[in-house]
Amino acid sequence: MFAITTTGRIISFAWKNFTRNAWIGLATLLVLILSILSVNILLGVNAVSDAAMKALEDKIDISVYFKPETPVLVLDTARSYMASLPQSQEVDMRLPEAVLEDFKTRHKDDEKVLAALAELDQNPFGATMTVKAHNTGDYPFLVEALQNPQFAFAIETKTYDDNSVAISRVQHIAESVRLFGIILIAIFALFSILIVYNSIRIAVYTQREELGIMRLVGASNLFVKAPLVLSGAVQALLAMFLSAGAVVLMVAFLDPKLKIFFDGSDPGLQSYFMDNFVLLAGVQAGAILCLVIFSSWAATGRYLKK
Amino acid sequence: MIVLKNISKVYPPDVHGLRDVSLHIKPGEFVSIVGTSGAGKTTLAKLLIAEERPTKGTIVIGGWDITKIKRREIPYLRRQIGVIFQDFKLLQKKTVWENIAFALEVAGEPRRRIREVVPHVLKIVGLDQKAHRFPRQLSGGEQQRVVIARALVHRPKVLLADEPTGNLDTMNTNEIIDVLKKINAFGSTIVLVTHNREVVNGLKQRVITLSDGRVISDQAQGKYILP
Repeated sequence: MFAITTTGRIISFAWKNFTRNAWIGLATLLVLILSILSVNILLGVNAVSDAAMKALEDKIDISVYFKPETPVLVLDTARSYMASLPQSQEVDMRLPEAVLEDFKTRHKDDEKVLAALAELDQNPFGATMTVKAHNTGDYPFLVEALQNPQFAFAIETKTYDDNSVAISRVQHIAESVRLFGIILIAIFALFSILIVYNSIRIAVYTQREELGIMRLVGASNLFVKAPLVLSGAVQALLAMFLSAGAVVLMVAFLDPKLKIFFDGSDPGLQSYFMDNFVLLAGVQAGAILCLVIFSSWAATGRYLKK
Repeated sequence: MIVLKNISKVYPPDVHGLRDVSLHIKPGEFVSIVGTSGAGKTTLAKLLIAEERPTKGTIVIGGWDITKIKRREIPYLRRQIGVIFQDFKLLQKKTVWENIAFALEVAGEPRRRIREVVPHVLKIVGLDQKAHRFPRQLSGGEQQRVVIARALVHRPKVLLADEPTGNLDTMNTNEIIDVLKKINAFGSTIVLVTHNREVVNGLKQRVITLSDGRVISDQAQGKYILP
């Protein structure tokens, strides 16, 4: 009975504390919302830049041009061998006939080229193999794998050698962007923690006299601290809901606009938040709740030593 | 009721608040503790409510040695000693009723008892018509009466008043002293810390005079002897 009465009073005091300190509460709520939003905005920017990097990486591949007279058996060996490597994501072999058809289609309006082609007795094209890696870092390995003596002699040329500098630059930029994004999120998260901790301390500081008076009239530490911690927790949850609402609106507004820059493909913003919703909401709610509870508890403790 | 044995309080590095003070206050007494500023009056008051601890000596209140009181026991001590402060120490965001009820709520008293006790103490101090006002809507004298009402809710055996009239005019001072006399007549021990000559002389009760942290006079029906 005593526990029920005490709990009821703590909740009632927490509510009164929240409503009668409306301005301080509102200021703290705003700080919490801004902190949560700043971290989420960075997460969104990181997701979009990650999608941009992925789109760029997707455009990278190795095109291998075989000599025209290469036997089909050798081509099959090359395709099977490259496809069997765990670093390969996709291997596409275009046989000489298909390459010739592609060429004709590409130049169907160029009569001179078609006439020159007709002059030849045989198909001048060899087979073409396109190899796509899982990661850009795997390309040097795949280029090395093309040195396999079972089919290396049949290779006329390959594009990777020409593009290797650009590919390694893209790879470097992608890694840097990802690392920078993670560092920036970590810094913002740290700033947010410090800002939230200090705004809770300020909110408690403004009530320091009241806390001392409560102690003087016989309130136990728990009775003084619990309502403040509880109202802080309510503020944290409210801030989470409002921030989540703001993030949903921002994503719904920005995602279609970003699609234009991504040539109609997914800019990764909405999908990032949708795919990671439970994780993001759980981690952020847990972190902000723990932070507010710890800050309120620690800040209140300072004024209850007497 | 209250026994102080060889109490000394030294604030670092070497400021002496009290020096070897020994006192015995009997149940039902009305004792004035007087002295000039810095004499040690407020230090003594703070020691009695365990807001500070003595450097030396023992304090026993109602058989309870509070010298080595644990922090978690302090709220229980403060529920047994009613305290009245010069600066009122009211919760500004709570109404008169809520301020008084708070002292009972923190002690886990049931709602029914709170509904009985609060109007009763408000009547004693003559504020039953202003129960739902906030402290800022009351005069200094009225605020001090709220503090007295709050101090009375636990029916304390000891009421410690630290300069309760320090911020009040003569009329309000007399009103507060009359309320304290009334409470003393009900059987509570009153410890009045003051430097108000008229109040002390008008009471004609025991007067303990402090100077430089020492008891220099303890008279049964004393007067204010300081210049």
